Amino acid sequence: MSAPAAPAARSTGARPAVSRRRPARADHAQRRAPWLLLAPFLVLFALTFVLPIVYAVGQSFTRVERQGLFGEDGITSRFAGLDNYERALGDPAFVDSIWRVLLFGVVQVPVMIVAVTILALLLESASAKWPAFFRAAYFAPYGIPGVIASILWSFLYLPGFSPIVAGLQALGFAPDFLGPQTVLWSIANIVTWSYAGYNMLIVIAQLKAIPGEVYEAAKVDGAGPFRLAWSVQLPLIRPALVLTTVFSIIGTLQLFAEPQVMRAVSPAIDVKYTPNFAAYSSAFSYNDYGVAAAQAVVIALAAFVLSFVFLRLVSRRDS
Amino acid sequence: MTAVRPEEDRLATIGAVQRTPQRGATRPPAARTIIVTAVLALVAVYFLVPVYWVVVAASKSTEDLFTTNGFWFAGFQLFENVGQVFAFDDGIFVRWFFNSLLYAGGGALVATYLAAAGGYALAVYDFKGRDLVFGLILGGVLVPGTATALPLFLMFSNLGLTDSYLGVLLPSFVSPFGFFLCRIFAGAVVPASLVESARLDGAGELRIFHTFGLRMMVPALVTVFLFQFVGIWNNYLLPLIMLADEQLYPITVGLVNWRAQTDRLPEFYELTTAGVLVSVVPLVVLMVVLQRFWRGGLTEGSVKG
Amino acid sequence: MQTTRRGALGAALGAGAVVLSGCAAGAAGDSVNQRPLKPRADGPITLTYWAWLKDLQSVCDLWNAENPDVQVKAVWSGAGTNGGYTRMFGALAAGGGADIAQVEFQVLPSFLLQNGLVDLSRYGFREHLGDYREGDIARVSLGDGVFGVPQDTGPMGWFYRRDVLDAIGATPPATWPEWADLARAVKEANPTHRLEGFSINDPNVFTSLCMQAGAAWFTPDGDEWVVDLTGGPTRTVAEFMDTAFSEDLYDTALAPFSSGWTAAAAEGSIAAVTTGSWGDALVQSVGGTSGLWGVAPLPVWPDTGYASATLGGSTAAVLATSQHPAEAMDFIHWMTTDPRAIDAQIENCGIGWSPSPDYIGASRQEPSEFFGGQNYNEEVFVPAADAQNPDWAWSPIFIELNDALSAVFRERGAGGRPIVDALPAVQEQTLTIMREKGLRVRAGSAS
Repeated sequence: MSAPAAPAARSTGARPAVSRRRPARADHAQRRAPWLLLAPFLVLFALTFVLPIVYAVGQSFTRVERQGLFGEDGITSRFAGLDNYERALGDPAFVDSIWRVLLFGVVQVPVMIVAVTILALLLESASAKWPAFFRAAYFAPYGIPGVIASILWSFLYLPGFSPIVAGLQALGFAPDFLGPQTVLWSIANIVTWSYAGYNMLIVIAQLKAIPGEVYEAAKVDGAGPFRLAWSVQLPLIRPALVLTTVFSIIGTLQLFAEPQVMRAVSPAIDVKYTPNFAAYSSAFSYNDYGVAAAQAVVIALAAFVLSFVFLRLVSRRDS
Repeated sequence: MTAVRPEEDRLATIGAVQRTPQRGATRPPAARTIIVTAVLALVAVYFLVPVYWVVVAASKSTEDLFTTNGFWFAGFQLFENVGQVFAFDDGIFVRWFFNSLLYAGGGALVATYLAAAGGYALAVYDFKGRDLVFGLILGGVLVPGTATALPLFLMFSNLGLTDSYLGVLLPSFVSPFGFFLCRIFAGAVVPASLVESARLDGAGELRIFHTFGLRMMVPALVTVFLFQFVGIWNNYLLPLIMLADEQLYPITVGLVNWRAQTDRLPEFYELTTAGVLVSVVPLVVLMVVLQRFWRGGLTEGSVKG
Repeated sequence: MQTTRRGALGAALGAGAVVLSGCAAGAAGDSVNQRPLKPRADGPITLTYWAWLKDLQSVCDLWNAENPDVQVKAVWSGAGTNGGYTRMFGALAAGGGADIAQVEFQVLPSFLLQNGLVDLSRYGFREHLGDYREGDIARVSLGDGVFGVPQDTGPMGWFYRRDVLDAIGATPPATWPEWADLARAVKEANPTHRLEGFSINDPNVFTSLCMQAGAAWFTPDGDEWVVDLTGGPTRTVAEFMDTAFSEDLYDTALAPFSSGWTAAAAEGSIAAVTTGSWGDALVQSVGGTSGLWGVAPLPVWPDTGYASATLGGSTAAVLATSQHPAEAMDFIHWMTTDPRAIDAQIENCGIGWSPSPDYIGASRQEPSEFFGGQNYNEEVFVPAADAQNPDWAWSPIFIELNDALSAVFRERGAGGRPIVDALPAVQEQTLTIMREKGLRVRAGSAS
């Protein structure tokens, strides 16, 4: 297991492309073929990735002016300069939402990854009975769309409805899964529940990829299961863990379905709870497409920069 | 987040090499087995209890939902509730299900083929602009899908593509990550000599791709297909903003719509819980069955790399 | 309610201002109301009606049975700001969506701002004006244009559990200070019980109470808006709410009519709800409480304001993207005036206050068994409908303001800044939002 950028670079260099070897015989068909093969993908990529972003950037530089109490005497579009960005980033609720998801990512992701790693190590240790069953059980929630998982858990958080809340109350606790201090972590639980099994599967794949000789050598050294895990297995799967962790943090920038569904049961969630939710509200509640476009651009840019910086860091350490 | 996480995690697994799985050769002490298994069982309870709760809840009337213990059955009417799910509004739920199937199945199929063709082209041919194309698509991998959903809507609404199957399908046809994976995989498994000898046999370039390239890339294609399928199936934001006509909804948007009606119509609790159950069961079963496949696709990819 | 200047729309513009033009961002293209009229269909058509009225289809079916060529299909759309409007705005921006939509009075101006509604006067609605109360028509008119048809006008009252009040020897409060005393008594009797729930996400009740207290947040002056969110009446209500919050008199976890609220109301840990006339149907879905509820007039402010206000209240409007506005208008007119349709809406949809001056509905003229034999409609809501603040107007940024107020209440709920101290900031925010919408606006009172 290694970071993606590295193998990409390596395989490009290591295996020279076919036509490079025989440039003299690269005929018309061979020159045309890659573009034929690429064309459908590139056209759709342009249509669904490049152009929308260009369009959004354009939209983010416009604003409207209205004449009359309701714009009934005329509406004109104007160049707005950076106004929309100023408004997006000047809105404390939007900025809060970015900090909120970063906090979410910084807490939820490591907790999940640590738990997942422990589970994977336990499942892969000889001590576990029925590992196949447990693996399947943990993986099952991955097949449940996040939004449906949110419906499900929102019922399980709801006082007067949830047997879990009722049970805890009977034990003398007064759980409030939906309050302003707790609801973010209730969402974190949904996300963890959905993705832990999936991440676990990846860690298991990494563990299985550790060559047998490594274990043999460890055994010769007399390493017990804990030392084996700590000083052999963990270091070998570490790159994967780091990568998954940071990508998941970036992924939190996109939280939308969970808070949107949970809002129905938790007054603590406002319409700008996450950056994506804020952009959605700007567009469809406020019809403020300029600001919505600016917010979308900010989110895309933030995700891009975060992942790019990270990939750079990882590939530098690898080389 | 839902749409993207799998993609990114896939990144982590490329290059994973499957060798002999290692389990301890000596028997561990019984006490340790019991403790470890107990811990694993406890965790299994966490993952399975909500699913169990759905089964119980889906079998109750709305009144029992509020008044009886949520973890135990009361006034069992599961089949009535499920029947209601299928019958409601002339079977709109069935339609949502098939819509989801169309979006996820059709989208993933086309996406896989396009990614395969593009990845193969980059791996096998050397041409001007190759690095540029690769860099551009790598950029696409790094920009999360949900960040483009809103810009997509703004642009598609001007093109008249919103509120149509195409509005959801077109974006689903593109998987930059699948492209990336195919590029790496094709570089690893499609031997230059084979392409050469096929050419010498007089096969056209596209034919070589379709007869040899695709076949050799199958393990990666299965992975790309599965991830894209689950990604689209789980997607919520894109169809939510793209679609106004509920005849076009996938299950996710449809069920949220039912859930919202419980605010005013308590009887929708029955529909929602039973609908959640009906939508959850096939995918969970599929996940569990395909689990092996999943890992297979992930790791085999680099056996020869 | 019949008083003149019932709403901004009527008062705002002189004749000739009906002409909507230009293109809104998102809702691209020129105004539907400048384009040629859309002709009636030759063949059978199906109209789609987005609303969050329960079982609306049963009302449509009455119409469908007699109008085979114009079938109406009701489609559930999330309640108002909980999803309905985002869906409608999205559809408008995309150029699709329903023919008819449920649009609350307070949100009509926001739709106007998007050029989202068909001016029904162009399709001959003016000949039906006599079938509605004058004041209600004023609330949906802009100049000569009519942009929605009143369906449910939402006068407010106070619903309460008689048994809970009896148990602590209380009677319905006549004033808001009395309400606070009662809320304290309920809490004292059982510390986990509250008199009412309050939705931080939807502080409409606060807005309505300001309306009742005599505030005029938005006043049109020529083509400029005058904004006053810091005047005396608003401060009175804010201070009242501050007291309620600092003494923890509301249960802010229980938004009225949410699942949790319904469960709490059923067991009596919530004893009352301040809401619109349409609340009766929702109160009746609180299981096992038949005969236990009563309806009282809205408590009043001691020194200021009016006897009642409105909360919500809906119109049926024709969306700009409809291909069949004429047929849609026919249906809406039938639905809001035909006695059978009114009765069916009351019975199946829980529609609130009928806009027809001649007919409030058969069941409304009789005592209600669920409400302990009280003839609450004639007792409470008939007078409430007529005791309204005539200076109140809704702004075209209702949703934005509602969310801004929601943020204030969320902060207050978490023990933060008093609402009354937040009002100047909200006023500033409102001015900014309106300017950013490209509207002309000025502050009406010193912040």
